[in-house]
Amino acid sequence: MFASDLFRPPIPKELRATLRPVALASTRLLPLGEPWRHWVPGGGLRRGSTVVVEAPAGRGGLSLALALVAESSAQGHWAGVVGVDDPGVVAMLELGLDLRRVLFVPRPRGAWAESTADLLDGVDLVVVRPPGRAAHGAARRLVDRVRESGAVLIALSEPRTPWPLPADLLFSVVDARWATTSRLDARRLTVRVGGRGAAGPVREYLVVLPNRDGRAEAP
Amino acid sequence: MERLLAVWVESLSDEASDGSTLRATLELLDALDALCPFTEAVRLGLFALPLRGPSRFFGGDDAVLGRVRRCVLEIVGVEPDLGVAEGLFSAELAAHQRVVVPVGRGDAFRRVQPLAALGRRDLATTGERLGLRTVGAFADLDPARVAERFDRRVLDAHRVARGELAELEGQRDPRLETRLAALRGVVGVSGEQRGFFGQRSAGDDRAEIAAHRVRRRLGAEAVCVARLRGGRGPEDRATLVPWGAPEGDVADVAPWPGRLVAPSPATTLARPVPLQVRDEGDRPVVLGARGTLSAPPASVVFATPLRREVVWHAGPWPLVERWWSRRRRRAHLQIVLAGGEALLVATEAGRWWLVGIYD
Repeated sequence: MFASDLFRPPIPKELRATLRPVALASTRLLPLGEPWRHWVPGGGLRRGSTVVVEAPAGRGGLSLALALVAESSAQGHWAGVVGVDDPGVVAMLELGLDLRRVLFVPRPRGAWAESTADLLDGVDLVVVRPPGRAAHGAARRLVDRVRESGAVLIALSEPRTPWPLPADLLFSVVDARWATTSRLDARRLTVRVGGRGAAGPVREYLVVLPNRDGRAEAP
Repeated sequence: MERLLAVWVESLSDEASDGSTLRATLELLDALDALCPFTEAVRLGLFALPLRGPSRFFGGDDAVLGRVRRCVLEIVGVEPDLGVAEGLFSAELAAHQRVVVPVGRGDAFRRVQPLAALGRRDLATTGERLGLRTVGAFADLDPARVAERFDRRVLDAHRVARGELAELEGQRDPRLETRLAALRGVVGVSGEQRGFFGQRSAGDDRAEIAAHRVRRRLGAEAVCVARLRGGRGPEDRATLVPWGAPEGDVADVAPWPGRLVAPSPATTLARPVPLQVRDEGDRPVVLGARGTLSAPPASVVFATPLRREVVWHAGPWPLVERWWSRRRRRAHLQIVLAGGEALLVATEAGRWWLVGIYD
């Protein structure tokens, strides 16, 4: 006890807040759950990278973006959600997010990019839905900010208002079908995965999202 | 809603071209923030700070008012207009009127303000025609009526009038914080930290500083956390509350559509949107006394002239629940549109609302 006290002096709050955990090579990736980890190189989201999730309105884009956060959130990483006016909190629980470490900025008004940048300094993953098409300059600044901060930015877009820059990883929903019984049961999404460099050639995958429990699973 | 001290400094509200206004704003902000943590520069000329902590620390509201007044006098050399009320909208009005609105009188104070205080000329003109002269009279209008007649911004103003939102759109200059940070020459990591999250790690501290920064930029209610009530399972209820709201002081930012089984909608509308549900003959679908529908839904019509074909539906599932009012009867219906989007709609007293989107 004596020794540990000696080598672990109390760190003043101001200082502690500026410290980052040591980043080893294996921790340069934020964990992904099933089935996403089989879809991307390294099986995780690379810190400093920008991920774009593209889907027509109401076709599962939001669920997909949140599903990408779920595993990291469950393992103790902080996440932020910017510009999603009315997040379905119970749906997020069902997806497996730990809501104790999720900050929401539902209505950033004119300052969506600034709020996102603010959060990128303090949390590990930020999901952002820009209002309409993001301006090139704002997107550029955010991508740079992500790289410096070592967080992961997940930008939600629609085909008619695409994210203006190439993404490190791009998930586009090309088809969404509901399976129904006496209620909405499960949705089968066809997702095209591509991106720059390491992401490799574009491939198409099927995922059930949400399933009967509200989670993601391989079909 | 948080009790705020608003500080209006007229001479700082008009920006001089030589940069002196911004410099004085920064100097005053830092001095006020040293006195009362969490002070924000809302826009040029207007500062706001949560009063609860400082009031306890200095021994009462008046003690804080006195210190703030002296601080402004010392730095800017003019007498500020001070006011206290809950939420930024009321607090600014209180400052212009130099009053302290006592706890519990916030609604009354807000309601007697002239309609023009909401800052919408179109609304003031229409209101005049309808005989609505005060914020209170406007607040009493049915939200659905307001939604039919006006755009989203007026709907937000209506929520401010009803005391559901703390501040008006446009009341705050979201870029001021960035400009002040640039002037300071550093990205400021400032502010007190409060432990809201139980056991703390360095990650918690970083997240809290980030949250604080967004809060300073956009206002006290801009950053929210989800709060679970009555347990941790997906069947339990959840709400969004402003970050930093004391435990137990739960204001429902997002009402919850009830306990349907999973999967739940990824979007849950905090303000349900009115829509019409029609049958094949274009007649309104109504929920009967026995919980059955008059006819299967064939289309939905949103407030805007937008009609979508319904290809599938399930329900109705009756819910007896407190929603925006107490003890009303309503039922839920899941529908799938021709494009493949799935929606959760609710009906009550012959009317229909969009409450969730399976996005």
